[in-house]
Amino acid sequence: MSAVPPDAGTPSPSTAGPGPGPAAAPLLEVRDLRVRIGGREIVHAADLTATPGRLVAVVGPNGAGKSTLVRTAAGLQRAAGGEVHWEGTDVRQVSGRHLARLRAFVPQRARVPDGIDVREAVMIGRSPRIGGLRRPGRADRDAVEDALRRASALELVDRQLSTLSGGELQRVQLAVGLAQGAPVLIADEPTSALDLGATATFAQLLRRLAGDGLAIVLVVHDLALAAAIADEVVVMADGRTVATGPPSTVLDRERLARIWRVDAALRTDDEGRTALDVAWLAPPAA
Amino acid sequence: MALRQSAVLAAAAALLVLAALASIALGSTTIPLGDVLHALPLVGDGRVDAATDQIIDNLRIPRTVTAIAVGAALGVSGALLQGALANPLASPEVIGVTAGAGFGAMLLLLAVPDAVALVPLSALAVGLLAAALVFAVAWSGRGGGSIARLILAGIAVSAIFTAGTTMLMTAYPDRVSSAIFFIAGYIADDGWGVLEHVWYYVVAGLALAALLVRPLDRLALGDDVAQSLGVRPRAIRLAAAAVAALLAAAAAALAGLLGFVGLVVPHVMRMAGGTASHRFVVPASALGGAAILLIADILSRRIAAPLALPVGPFMVALGVPLFLWLLRKAV
Repeated sequence: MSAVPPDAGTPSPSTAGPGPGPAAAPLLEVRDLRVRIGGREIVHAADLTATPGRLVAVVGPNGAGKSTLVRTAAGLQRAAGGEVHWEGTDVRQVSGRHLARLRAFVPQRARVPDGIDVREAVMIGRSPRIGGLRRPGRADRDAVEDALRRASALELVDRQLSTLSGGELQRVQLAVGLAQGAPVLIADEPTSALDLGATATFAQLLRRLAGDGLAIVLVVHDLALAAAIADEVVVMADGRTVATGPPSTVLDRERLARIWRVDAALRTDDEGRTALDVAWLAPPAA
Repeated sequence: MALRQSAVLAAAAALLVLAALASIALGSTTIPLGDVLHALPLVGDGRVDAATDQIIDNLRIPRTVTAIAVGAALGVSGALLQGALANPLASPEVIGVTAGAGFGAMLLLLAVPDAVALVPLSALAVGLLAAALVFAVAWSGRGGGSIARLILAGIAVSAIFTAGTTMLMTAYPDRVSSAIFFIAGYIADDGWGVLEHVWYYVVAGLALAALLVRPLDRLALGDDVAQSLGVRPRAIRLAAAAVAALLAAAAAALAGLLGFVGLVVPHVMRMAGGTASHRFVVPASALGGAAILLIADILSRRIAAPLALPVGPFMVALGVPLFLWLLRKAV
């Protein structure tokens, strides 16, 4: 873990694409995490840090424990060992209501109920900010509109959730998360069911939100996408974080061969294009 | 709340008021509406003859209030369960309370007919006991509180109590006819007798349901999103199911086994209001359930007057065509 001065400020907004940016105090710190589900240890030793203005991509093969790591970091799952700290406080000491103001969690596929329109859904996201029996006021309606605008979903406001396409639905889910007004956004494979264009739209949105100062943790399978948008990549394998760092350093050919068992190489150009050259039919590397 | 939903609530409230006045006016003898208005407590001026006043105060008003309480309780019970279990097929039958209440009532009606006065209490107690059994099984162990486990536990516990009821009917076949009204669902003409002991369960249940409206809305997008919003989905589900059980058991104590209101009324109100938001569906189901049960009760009294028939079949005859018409429009 890098030493960070406690008084470090949040980075100034930037839309220049991924970059290290000035250091800020981490909002989320996970150290040496262990998680058991159904009597079986899924995560053995995992670390994760979320810092304002930075987008962290968590990558790894199926079953590596990526989702379990971020769900436990988000407080949706109980840890069996290790530490999860939010703003320096142990997650077990943080109430659900307070946690809802610190982080939003966007699941891979949320339930799509009948009879709920987009405005109602995003107002549900606002609910941690609406205390007790208070009715939503003008500030809440403005916050809902702002969240929809930031998620490029304003034009969907009066649509029923059940009529949205996959890409539209994920933008609305993002708006639900943004309406929480939390400084950290954790998204678990939000693009895994989206087509190319919808994925690019979603990626641009996340990058812009990080540029606005949000700390983003993104679980993602597409390594070329991760390389394009992430400031930092966390690689998980067999329940452990095995590498953390800038995409170009971490996703090297040797590691792709060892962890994913493919002969593949990441290619990037100066205009932000990324590609993964994969020898699809080559036998798995030893 | 959108204009459409406010309009549906206002229409349901107006229908309920009209049905309540009709319920007081119509029965084995018809009382002119003017006399009804004069005799109403709080708003009437009391200028009505003593006999009419007696009928209104001691028979018609208690019967009307009972029908409103039962209809509202069942409508809200269904709305809570359908929301909490994210399942449009959920109703009080699902959590065992109906089968339990049925067994509790039949036990006294058939095996201990001398204790017939305790039938409502027994229905309430055994109904709640059955629901408690379902909850204990559904919320224990790993994965406790999941929707599938709750529904499966409900089916299993219901089967036990239904089997018990069947055994009682086999053991006392000559007494089964005395239980038909309870099975079919009825509103009794016995004044404030039962309501006096049960009303606070209904009022408490409706008040708790109002508190559950917002937490239930937070479950709409699934458990992960709900947890992200700082609520505990399983705790909300348990609370909503417990309140639904209380309301359904109280309704069974007052009016026997009325299976239809809890399932269908929330659907009708959702379709009419065009939203599944509990802020609308819960109060609308209370008003709609009360109105439909009142209208069905009026029909059950008038069709073969002076003979009063059980209200359950009338309610189905009234509600199913409306429901099917809405279903055709919606899907």
